[in-house]
Amino acid sequence: MVLCLASLVLKYGYALQITPQAKDQAVQAEKEKEPEKIMPSPKNIKESTAIYVFLVWMWVAVFVLIYILILKIKEVDRLHRIKFFSAKRE
Amino acid sequence: MSIKDTKTWIQEWLDERSGLSSITKFLREKKIPQHKHSIWYYTGSAILLFFTIQVITGFVLVFYYSPTLEEANQSVGRIMTEVPFGWIIRSVHSWSASFMIAFVFVHLLSIWITKSYRRPREATWMSGVILLVFTLAFGFTGYLLPWDDLSLAATKVGTDIPRSIPVVGIWGTRFLRGGEDITGDTLTRFFGFHVSILPVLLFILLAVHIYLVQKHGMSLPLTARRKNERFVELPFWPNFVYREMVVWLILVGVLFSVAVFLPPSLEKAADLMAPAPEGIKPEWYFLFLFQTLKVFPAKILFITGDTIAILLILLAVIFLFFLPLIDNRPAERKGKIITFIAYVFIMYAVVMTVWSLI
Repeated sequence: MVLCLASLVLKYGYALQITPQAKDQAVQAEKEKEPEKIMPSPKNIKESTAIYVFLVWMWVAVFVLIYILILKIKEVDRLHRIKFFSAKRE
Repeated sequence: MSIKDTKTWIQEWLDERSGLSSITKFLREKKIPQHKHSIWYYTGSAILLFFTIQVITGFVLVFYYSPTLEEANQSVGRIMTEVPFGWIIRSVHSWSASFMIAFVFVHLLSIWITKSYRRPREATWMSGVILLVFTLAFGFTGYLLPWDDLSLAATKVGTDIPRSIPVVGIWGTRFLRGGEDITGDTLTRFFGFHVSILPVLLFILLAVHIYLVQKHGMSLPLTARRKNERFVELPFWPNFVYREMVVWLILVGVLFSVAVFLPPSLEKAADLMAPAPEGIKPEWYFLFLFQTLKVFPAKILFITGDTIAILLILLAVIFLFFLPLIDNRPAERKGKIITFIAYVFIMYAVVMTVWSLI
C-alpha cells in the first residue's frame, strides 16, 4: 500500500513544489506563447471577398450618388436663379 | 388617400407638434456666399461627419471592450480577431479620429487666416478653441484604451506633462492617473473620460458652437468686407447642403478605403513593470508638442526645460483662445502680423512633426 502510494506520488509529482524560478519560467513561457502583435486582416477568403466587393460597390454608389447630386445642384441653382421659391411664397 | 396626401398629412402632423417648418424656413432663408474661399465652409460639416462616424463605431466597440487591466488588451484583440468585421470597425474609428482632428486643425487655421473670428464671432471662435482641446483629449484618452506597450508608454509621457506646471502640476498628474502611477485605475478613468465625460461636454459645447454659427451666419472674406463686394448667395437648404453631400460622400469613400488597406495593429498587452520600449511616439497630432518637449535642454538657469516648454505651450493656447480680443480691430483691417503668426505656427508644427519622425 505504502509502496503504491509512494509510486503514485513519484509518478505524478504530487510531492514537488513549484519553485519561484519555475513559476517565473512558466509565466515567461506563457508570455512567449502570446502573439507579439495582432495584424488586422480578413479572417478568411469569404470575409476578404466581402470586404473588396463592399469597397467596389461603395465607390460605385458614391459616383452614382455624386452624379445625381450634381444634377440636383444644377436644378436647384436654376430654380434659385429664376427666384422660383421667392415667387412661390409671394 | 394618395401618397402625396399622406406625405402632406405626415408633414402637417409633425409640424403641428414640433414646429419643424420654422426650422426648414430658417435653413432655406439662410444664405451662403459663394466666392473663391467658399471651400473652407465645408470643413465644419466634415468635422461633424467624422464625429458622427466616431460615435456610431464607438457604440459598436464599447459592446465588446472591457476597461480592466486584465481584459483591455485581450478584448481589443477579440474585437480584431473574433468579432465579425471588428477590425474594420476599429480601423474606421481610429482613422476617423485622425481625419476629424486634421479637419479641426484646417478649420481653425482657415478661420484664423481669414480673420473670421472678429466681431461679432468672438464667442464662436472661443468655443471652437475649447472644442479643439476636447477633440485632442478624445484622442489622448482613446490612445491608452488598447493597453499595449506603446499606448502605455505614450500615456506615461503625456500624463507626466502637467507635473512640470508649477503649483497645480502634481495634482493634475494625480488627477489624470488616479494616483501616483499608471495603473488599472488610470485605464478606468481614461475610459470614463472617453465614453462619458468628454462626449457630454463636447455635445453641449458643439450645440453652443453650432447655435452661434447659425446666429451670425457665414463670414465673408477680407477682400469682400473691405470693398463691400456683392457675392452670389445660395440658400443653405437645399443648394449648399447638396454640395456638402458631395464632399461627405468622397470623404466617406476615402475613409473606408484607408481603413481597409491601412488598419491599426495591436501590440501585446502592456507590462507595468517593463521599461519603456524604444522609439515611443504619440499620435501624429501630438508629435509637434512631443518634439517641443524633447528639444528643450534639461535646465535653463534655475528652471527645468520641461516647465518652460509647458508654460510656452500653455501661453500659445491662451493666445489662441483670446485671439479675437487681442486682434479686435474692425473686420475690414487686414491684420498682416496675425496672418504671419498663423503661417509661423503652421511651419513650426510641420517642421517639428517631420523632425520627430526622422
